[in-house]
Amino acid sequence: MKSLTTSARNQQPRTETESEDASAGSLIAGSRKGPFEGVTHVRPMPVSPSYFSREPHFTDSIVRLATLLHRYQNLPVVAPDQERKPQLWKTLLEYRVYSGEPIKALQYSRALSIVKRLHQIDPKLMPAEVKDALVDFEKDIDPFSNVPKPIPVDRFGRAVGVGRRKTSTARAWVVEGTGEVQINGKPLNEAFGRIHDRESAVWALRSTDRVDKYNIWALVEGGGTTGQAEALTLAIAKGLLAHEPALKPILRQAGCITRDPRAVERKKHGHVKARKMPAWVKR
Amino acid sequence: MASVHCSRGLTVPRSSLRLAPRITPIIAWTAPFSTTPAVSKVAGAPKKAFQVIGRHIRRGKVAQNSKKKPQIVRAKKPQPGQRKAFRKRIQLSNNNAAVVDGLPVLEAETMANKENLCRMVGLPDKLVDQLRALEAFKPTQFWGLFRKPHMLVRTETVSLMERLNEAATQKQTLRTVLTGGKNSGKSLMLLQAMSHGLLNEWVVINIPEAQDLVNANTEYSPIPNSSPLQFFQPAYCLALLQKIAKANGEVLKQYKLSKDYSELQLIHLPEDGTLYDLAAAAKEAEFAWPVVQALWHELTAVPGRPPVLVTIDGLSHLMKQSAYRDPSFHIVHAHDLTLVRLLVDALAGNTAFANGGAVLAGTSRSNAPRSPSMDLALAQVAAEKAGEVAPSPDPYRRDYDARVYEAVRNVDVLEVNGISKLEARAVMEYWAASGVLRSQVNETTVTEKWSLSGHGILGEMERAALENSRL
Repeated sequence: MKSLTTSARNQQPRTETESEDASAGSLIAGSRKGPFEGVTHVRPMPVSPSYFSREPHFTDSIVRLATLLHRYQNLPVVAPDQERKPQLWKTLLEYRVYSGEPIKALQYSRALSIVKRLHQIDPKLMPAEVKDALVDFEKDIDPFSNVPKPIPVDRFGRAVGVGRRKTSTARAWVVEGTGEVQINGKPLNEAFGRIHDRESAVWALRSTDRVDKYNIWALVEGGGTTGQAEALTLAIAKGLLAHEPALKPILRQAGCITRDPRAVERKKHGHVKARKMPAWVKR
Repeated sequence: MASVHCSRGLTVPRSSLRLAPRITPIIAWTAPFSTTPAVSKVAGAPKKAFQVIGRHIRRGKVAQNSKKKPQIVRAKKPQPGQRKAFRKRIQLSNNNAAVVDGLPVLEAETMANKENLCRMVGLPDKLVDQLRALEAFKPTQFWGLFRKPHMLVRTETVSLMERLNEAATQKQTLRTVLTGGKNSGKSLMLLQAMSHGLLNEWVVINIPEAQDLVNANTEYSPIPNSSPLQFFQPAYCLALLQKIAKANGEVLKQYKLSKDYSELQLIHLPEDGTLYDLAAAAKEAEFAWPVVQALWHELTAVPGRPPVLVTIDGLSHLMKQSAYRDPSFHIVHAHDLTLVRLLVDALAGNTAFANGGAVLAGTSRSNAPRSPSMDLALAQVAAEKAGEVAPSPDPYRRDYDARVYEAVRNVDVLEVNGISKLEARAVMEYWAASGVLRSQVNETTVTEKWSLSGHGILGEMERAALENSRL
């Protein structure tokens, strides 16, 4: 009942002592109020005229947006080629959850078209009430603000990249050099017994033909040999990107950018392992 | 009892191979005594797979599915020793590989010449035969991929050969232990030293696997009246003499014996014989050790003889307790084996080489028992050489061995590690010319293989580049 106000509520609550005093005074002065004095409506009145509709909030918003559009349709808009901070709007489902109302898809898309038109008004001239009206339709999180921090190349020319795979974590310091590699203080052949692992550790450099251009000094911990080697792939690729950002598409194609999310699947109760079921036993 | 010929000799099967007598099982059809009641067997009754002993007790294999008969594949099994011979075979040429022209052939002073740095040199056929006789080639090395054996002259090679020359001219003894990472080419450095020695008319004595001397696979017998009791290894000594005679025959034939060895009672030793006659005179294992002693005396104590090169691979096997037992079943220390003692004395500098010479011992990183005293001594020598603080023994260790420490304390250490990129390039060009490396040889590929192999560890480079072509 938050949205409702009652005229009855405006009356002053009376205490017992007051009423006694008043009754005493009224007897003397004869100035007693009637029981419905100052009351215009018998029942509480809804704040919004759309209170009894199916989606009152949404209807109010549409009315408000339409009014604003009508009011400000002559304000200049940003040119389509002009760069502007991108804005994402709530999807239908998100808005339904937000408002708690069973909004229909067509209605929502119509509302969004008004929202987008209003959002095109030049930000310098954007009235405060328009901004206020659009807030309801904006997405809660701004994915565009989640920008990775650029990896700096420090004054010694080092760039440190971090990579993970399975349970291994690797940090690789990439410096311009002549192709020397040290992992946990050991050369590649001592760090990894398998040639395959050695190759995957420096795969970022190999796939971009940069083996003889950089030196690597890396620390790896956790997991097994494969995990460590593939964590190093990512770490070295990130360090390399700090030096040469233009290599990103090549590295992505070589599989050195995307973190492999696969990890050991957990065991479930009732199972022998993650998926294995105990053998069927008759009774 | 092991045979005279060790397993590497099996590469060429010989009819005269002495095999260890095999214990044939005696099949007794009726046990003389048994605690279980004999099950009466009715003749002609169908044979059951199991016996029914009690109501619920069955003995023998109960077939789960008696209808299914196991498929028996009757392939011909290899003869005893055939698998090992195949595993240990040494293939030194490959007709599928391309011929590499234009590389110099190894001569007496090739490897001591700085001009040949970073070059591959071929081994002449005669030298290959000598090295084969000395068992200088190892089955783990990649010789079988190429038409003819070639090797790289690297910086360490030149410095080592220069020092060998110096030792020969000044009649001194070079005593060096080769250390370095796994697969870094220590055994090959020994091979290069042997090649240099053979080409310069040294007498080369090689112990290809030191573990053969101490792992109790070769027979041993006590030397009477020695205290503490010492042992000699007749079969090994005989094989060693044969190898020495075969590899160094031409040199040994040039020198007459300095004294009469009639007290050895060698019927095959002619009067006024040469060193070769002495080495070849021991036809029986019992005479081998005295002959080794005599030959060693002739080579080291008598002036006017060729310099001697002794090479040992897998040194740490000689620096520990052996697997032999004495009559009271105590473990025999490796230094109480006379042949090992002879080698260790030479390495420690207790033997004077009258004609100059060298003792080179290679350590191993793969088949190496722990020898903390040797490791400590070598680390101290290396630290002194580098001008660093020498490490001190760990006070909490008890397994230090004073005899071992004394033996290794005064040697020189030569660290063999990765090759430079220039050397790597020479090797890779040779591989490419032989047709085993299919990629282009340029700075990128050279650096790639160089860093994959842990900064130019030669064996790892071979693994990284040629593993796919290996059988």
